Amino acid sequence: MRMKHNKPRKIRKMKNSKVIKAPDQMIDEYQNKCIGKELNESIDLIERLLGVNDDFTIRRFHVFGKFKAAMAYFENFNSKEDVQETLKSFMYIPRHLDHQKIEREELKDILFNEVLFRADIKIEEQIPAILQAVMEGNSVVLIEGLNEAFLFGNRNVDKRSIDNPDTERVIRGPREGFIESLQSNLALLRYRLQTTDFRIKSMKVGRLTKTNVALCYIEGIADPRLVEEVKDRVAAIDIDNIADSGYLEQFIEDNHMSPFPQIQNTERPDKAVSAMLEGKVVLLSDGSPFALIAPAVFAQFFQTVEDYTERFIMGSLLRMLRVLALSFALFFPSFYVAIIAFNPELIPTDFAVAIASGRAGVPFPTIMEVLFMEIAMEVLREATVRLPQQVGGALSIVGVLIIGQAAVEAGFANPITVVVIALTTIGSFATPAYNAAIALRMLRFPLVILSGIFGLIGLMFGFILIMNHILSLKSFGIPYLTPIVPGNFQGMKDSLVRMPLWKMPKRPGQFHPRNQDRLGDDIVEEFNQEQSNPLDLQGGYKRWDKKNGVSKKDNSDPNSDHNS
Amino acid sequence: MEFPKKITVIQTAIITASTIIGTGMLTIARRTVEFGDTAAPLLTILGVLVAYLSVYVICRLGNWFSGKSIFQYSEDIIGKWLARFFSLLIIGYLAVLTALYAREFGAVVRTTVLSETPLEVTTLAILIIVALSVRNNITTFAYIHHFYFPLILAPALFISAVSLKHANVLYLQPIIGNTPTNPMIGILLVAAMFQMSFILTIVIPAMRETHQALKAATWGIIMGGGLYLIMVIATVAVFGSEEIKTLLWPTIELTRITTLPGEILQRLDAAFLAVWVTAVYTTIFSSYFLCIYGIKQLFRFRDHKMFSFLLLPFIFFISSLPRNIVEVYELIKVVGMAGLIITLGYPCLLLVIAWVRKRKRKKGIGGSVDQYG
Repeated sequence: MRMKHNKPRKIRKMKNSKVIKAPDQMIDEYQNKCIGKELNESIDLIERLLGVNDDFTIRRFHVFGKFKAAMAYFENFNSKEDVQETLKSFMYIPRHLDHQKIEREELKDILFNEVLFRADIKIEEQIPAILQAVMEGNSVVLIEGLNEAFLFGNRNVDKRSIDNPDTERVIRGPREGFIESLQSNLALLRYRLQTTDFRIKSMKVGRLTKTNVALCYIEGIADPRLVEEVKDRVAAIDIDNIADSGYLEQFIEDNHMSPFPQIQNTERPDKAVSAMLEGKVVLLSDGSPFALIAPAVFAQFFQTVEDYTERFIMGSLLRMLRVLALSFALFFPSFYVAIIAFNPELIPTDFAVAIASGRAGVPFPTIMEVLFMEIAMEVLREATVRLPQQVGGALSIVGVLIIGQAAVEAGFANPITVVVIALTTIGSFATPAYNAAIALRMLRFPLVILSGIFGLIGLMFGFILIMNHILSLKSFGIPYLTPIVPGNFQGMKDSLVRMPLWKMPKRPGQFHPRNQDRLGDDIVEEFNQEQSNPLDLQGGYKRWDKKNGVSKKDNSDPNSDHNS
Repeated sequence: MEFPKKITVIQTAIITASTIIGTGMLTIARRTVEFGDTAAPLLTILGVLVAYLSVYVICRLGNWFSGKSIFQYSEDIIGKWLARFFSLLIIGYLAVLTALYAREFGAVVRTTVLSETPLEVTTLAILIIVALSVRNNITTFAYIHHFYFPLILAPALFISAVSLKHANVLYLQPIIGNTPTNPMIGILLVAAMFQMSFILTIVIPAMRETHQALKAATWGIIMGGGLYLIMVIATVAVFGSEEIKTLLWPTIELTRITTLPGEILQRLDAAFLAVWVTAVYTTIFSSYFLCIYGIKQLFRFRDHKMFSFLLLPFIFFISSLPRNIVEVYELIKVVGMAGLIITLGYPCLLLVIAWVRKRKRKKGIGGSVDQYG
């Protein structure tokens, strides 16, 4: 079911269509045409294309009081201060040019080199490029007699402040998350990765939205073939709208029919940076606070930043706990159904009696009971995600009362079923990645049905089917279960457990990083050196190989008995 | 086309072991005791040695004709048409074996856990699951074996270890057996249980380091044989040989007397059987895969996926031929012994012929470069 990721093909536009031409199609007629020297003609052209918009403004003025000029921009899209600054620098004659006679021929050079004190200024002559620049929020200045236009990046779009990412909260670790603006996100990455090796390649995707997509990687670590492949797959996308990086994900992933995510998304710049340092590639799209990390393996979805910021024993234990919770969420309800419906002899006798008494008034078979409750739980979860916070409290009361107590009292469900469902739900919430968790949560339903048919054997059938699917998955050629299957020793150090940082001298091998070394050569040696204990007065002060004298008899302690 | 050179040494060993460990796990104790009495562990060891012979031959052939499977190099050795006939025989035999494994699985499940489900449904269910998974390529085939291996090994080892508290060393003596009825047949039966190590013939060409195939296969046999040996010893030590002769599946009885510490589950037999499904699955998976891979290579197709569901009705048909469980085991015995001719005799024959032809050529032309070297 793999979609071919071809290099982009030129698609022939329909020339003689009867549809009324939108400006976008009219621009096509001006392909490769340059702007003329006549100011009025140029203004007419722009006016014809964009003048319908009420927020489009053309401001005529004179450069240095002599040359006729006009500035065109979208007034809500450009900041007023910037526009005024721009106009000011055109209209004022700088002091050093005060008595100089300026010819029209040298006007462009003088303006560009001596007058306009702006950083984001571009000179452009192609009509489509100029129009596109205006649409992107530049102000364009046209001057009579010049066949080039000045473009100023005056875009002003309000953006929210950088705050704690909602989907990936941590107790210990950086608190900043990506926001919608691509510029800010790239700045956040640059700030965390101040090396010349950090590369950003930008592309435009989306026929109408013309969304900026940035491909970030580290030269010398990421495999160039991976970078090339990701770039090709992104370039092959031909869609009108890229509303979020999720659109990109669905176009570039390997298996489009799988419930499992094969590309990771994150809101955290620090996570994106560590992914790049492992040889992966990060994709950011303008207007989306989620960065994509490709390739992704299954192990990544139950790892969090905290596993690394806290000490390794804690991180490892938490990871194992998460895997346990994950398998609980997937298998517990079906295990319960299989045991109750097919193999009640497996339950310890006392407990079996309790279950039997609980089930006494319940009219449905266990599988129906579990399915009802599971669906109710999913509905409740979905409702709480969408609801405004003010109503959320009411909903949780309803959920607790109806699904918990009342269902049992009404003889609708067995209390132990409720416990099982609760454990399952909690287990599924313990998976840090929402998309992986939801895949497993959904797979639980076919598993319940299978074990309702075949009992424990059916559960195993389901397990085998799911695992075989996972084992056959690949993300950019990397088997989905690496580093467990196939084993990779360096990768395994950071999978189910996290080894101490100084025990992982190499980058995980499954992503085939070009440069393997994470640690310096002598780091372990330094660790093994006897430590100096500057505050241990009895021990003397020894630092590495410098001995600052053995301690004196009184141990430099003024309060000692040995003070003679 | 897939890139075939990807399977590592560890994966090869695991594939060998997990292919061997299958339905035989439940019956091996009864089989060996039937023919060897208390010499059952000894018979197992000897059977493993016989099985190792076939593995050795296959590895030698695989090294000799690197990059080719038995379906391909046999054509070089004994000529196109004779080789094709034998290949067809192997494929037919594998289809029968797959069907019998599935039938045996169905019978066990029917008798022990799902007594109301028709036997055909369970048999068909496992066959469909296998047919779905053989559509993967050989790399994923290796991954699948690799992943399930701990699941196969752990419960068997655990149950053997826990059952030791009921063990009686006297049951194991004398080691050479009291009155072994027919030890030769016992040895061959054990060897027949190991004959799915024949899977090596398609794994070796896909290995990254072909020259280490023998090492990998040896480890595979040691792991598989070791597990079987442990199970035989544990079962015989707990029940004694006379008791075992009356038990259809002694290993299930063994799980019935063991309990988990902490009493999370009252009994273990159903849970053990559930995990045992993976062992059976990997075995059927291997034989099915080998079967359709053989068809692919015999008829020179580029892809084997097509045959996975094409073959299913035939295999299901064969699996429903025996009338009852007794007949299934009789058939397994006969077919297994006959199969030894194919999986042990045929490769030996090929090796000898290839060796003779090589000698001849060396004598005849004198110092010419060996075609296959």
